[in-house]
Amino acid sequence: MFKNYLLLSLKVLKRKPFYTFISLFGISFTLTILMLITSLFDATLGNNQPLTHRDRLVIAPSLERTRTETDTILAVDTLQLKDGTFRLDSTYTYEDDIVSTSNGPMSYNFADKNLRNFENVEHYAFYSDGNHIDGYLDGRKYSFQAYYTTASYWDVFDFSFQFGGPFYQEDEDQATKVVVITDKSAEAYFGVADASVIGQDMMLGDEVFRVRGIIDRPLTDSPLFAGDVYMPCTTLNNRDLSSTELYGGFSAVFLAPTPGQRSALQEEINFMSQNFEMPPDSYHDALELFNSPFIEGYAQGLLNERDPDKAMRLLFIPIVLLLLLFVALPLLNLINLNIGRVHERKSEIGVRKAFGANARDILYQFIFENLVLTFIGGAIGLLFALGLISYINKNDILGITRLSYSTEVFVYFLLVIIFFGFLSGILPAYRMSRANVAESLR
Amino acid sequence: MTAASTTSPTSKTPAGTAMIEISNVSKAYRTDTIETLALQKMNLTVASGEFLSIMGPSGCGKSTLLNIMGLIDEPTEGTVSLAGHKITSYNGTDIARFRNEQLGFIFQSFHLINDLSVVDNVELPLLYRKVGSRERRRLSLEALEHVGLSNRATHFPNQLSGGQKQRVAIARAIVGRPNIILADEPTGNLDSHMGDEIMDILLKLNSELGTTIVMVTHDERMARKTHRLVRLSDGERVS
Repeated sequence: MFKNYLLLSLKVLKRKPFYTFISLFGISFTLTILMLITSLFDATLGNNQPLTHRDRLVIAPSLERTRTETDTILAVDTLQLKDGTFRLDSTYTYEDDIVSTSNGPMSYNFADKNLRNFENVEHYAFYSDGNHIDGYLDGRKYSFQAYYTTASYWDVFDFSFQFGGPFYQEDEDQATKVVVITDKSAEAYFGVADASVIGQDMMLGDEVFRVRGIIDRPLTDSPLFAGDVYMPCTTLNNRDLSSTELYGGFSAVFLAPTPGQRSALQEEINFMSQNFEMPPDSYHDALELFNSPFIEGYAQGLLNERDPDKAMRLLFIPIVLLLLLFVALPLLNLINLNIGRVHERKSEIGVRKAFGANARDILYQFIFENLVLTFIGGAIGLLFALGLISYINKNDILGITRLSYSTEVFVYFLLVIIFFGFLSGILPAYRMSRANVAESLR
Repeated sequence: MTAASTTSPTSKTPAGTAMIEISNVSKAYRTDTIETLALQKMNLTVASGEFLSIMGPSGCGKSTLLNIMGLIDEPTEGTVSLAGHKITSYNGTDIARFRNEQLGFIFQSFHLINDLSVVDNVELPLLYRKVGSRERRRLSLEALEHVGLSNRATHFPNQLSGGQKQRVAIARAIVGRPNIILADEPTGNLDSHMGDEIMDILLKLNSELGTTIVMVTHDERMARKTHRLVRLSDGERVS
């Protein structure tokens, strides 16, 4: 039976090359774009190294100081008295509260003193990002993005090490001049990214660092790990580490023991910041430590929105709507084409029913044929998508972000194909399966 | 139509007993403004093993009657019994199975599926039975042999002449060994020589296999070759 259906499907496709071309173009183009979008999502928000534990992460990128004052308006009136003299009369009006804020990354000192004692935490790390550093070799200069991190940074994020390994607590304690670099940095600086690089020296700024490990460049350019070179935070100059200011260049990231304990950890962080005693000479009177789970944090950062729920809604609702629209248009077109195609085969349906096919047989046949069409379109779309992903990654078209091709993406892709084939085939197939046999044979 | 499933596809009703019984069957086609009566209080009995032809002018209800006998159209009034089973429903799986097991159709315009080879076309009724692919192929080749077309099994319908197409359609109609064959002007699109050939095949089927055949025709000469001729006019039986 299925052989017969398959044979017929392929013959029907060959019989109407233009229809087949239009259908396949619609399907493969849509699926290519969907696959690229899925791939981009997977690269940015997926469970990829070094974010395998992303559902346990709480990120605290910065803190905010606030001062709340009641707004007072002073109105001064001039009154002329009966005796002809003037008198000044002033009135104070109390308006809404005015909140003055100031925010930015925290100092190492603040993180060190206040962020080490939470209960619902398995690992935590402090890191200073966004530092530009120049590397020198044989009279050439290389620009790198430097991250200064605590040793536990390598416990929070599961980077994939190509060669060597991370630096450890003793390196942090002793401010050892070691560096972990990305494969791309290794290639830029040493010309190769292999085991021979481990143990070699790199001139970074005015100091020499020994290469401890080479990591795979992450798929995305998250500010959590956008560095080219990673060094122990204690190798920063003393002024950065010992500053008693609240602000500095550091952010913090926490790994809860389980995804379920993440909100308890956030409560602990909020409790700390609400009860933080501001320095007596501070102009501000309250502190807030921004913290959010990974995806919410991503949405907040992207949209510059404080409220994580609102940020999620603002980011995902338009994306979902756009995707639906993007899928709906070719889907409706395909349904329309299918109605015409099925109508042309009215007599065949009549014959099949006359010789014993029931409505379900006809329904299955047309859905099957449509799935064959969408699978062929899907295969073409898949090839296009793979080609485009490879082109985009090879030419760094999306900056640091590289599109991934994973089993997960492939499964999404298959689901989309089945959804497409099923939805676009079911309506016309259902209509024809109910057709009157005598009418169909007329 | 619940009793249909108990009938074996190869079981034959004894010759002489009623294979088709049409009692007081009327068929009206209605639109918003007009009602057309295609058949009026029609009564007809076709015996098992009989070869009946139906004649009449265009629009007299011949094809409608044939469609009602073939359970592909539903009467507005009256009852239909086939192979001893009274038909009570014209939808659903049971009626599809009954059509598959008891009935074979031959159409004036052949209605072959051009995308399938000759043998695949013949196999069609067996696809809706639990018959393995090898057995399907064997039975289909046997049916093609019966109509003298086994050498064209792998051809496609558009590679065949009109007469050959109709022979494929006959092979398709008999491959499932039905009790009844309903032929709607099977020679209508053929020249007289080819028409004779097709008629000979149908007569042979009727005499050798005992298949009950009801044939609608415009050709008096063909009709005279059958056991009995029924004439219709304006939806009524006139002889």
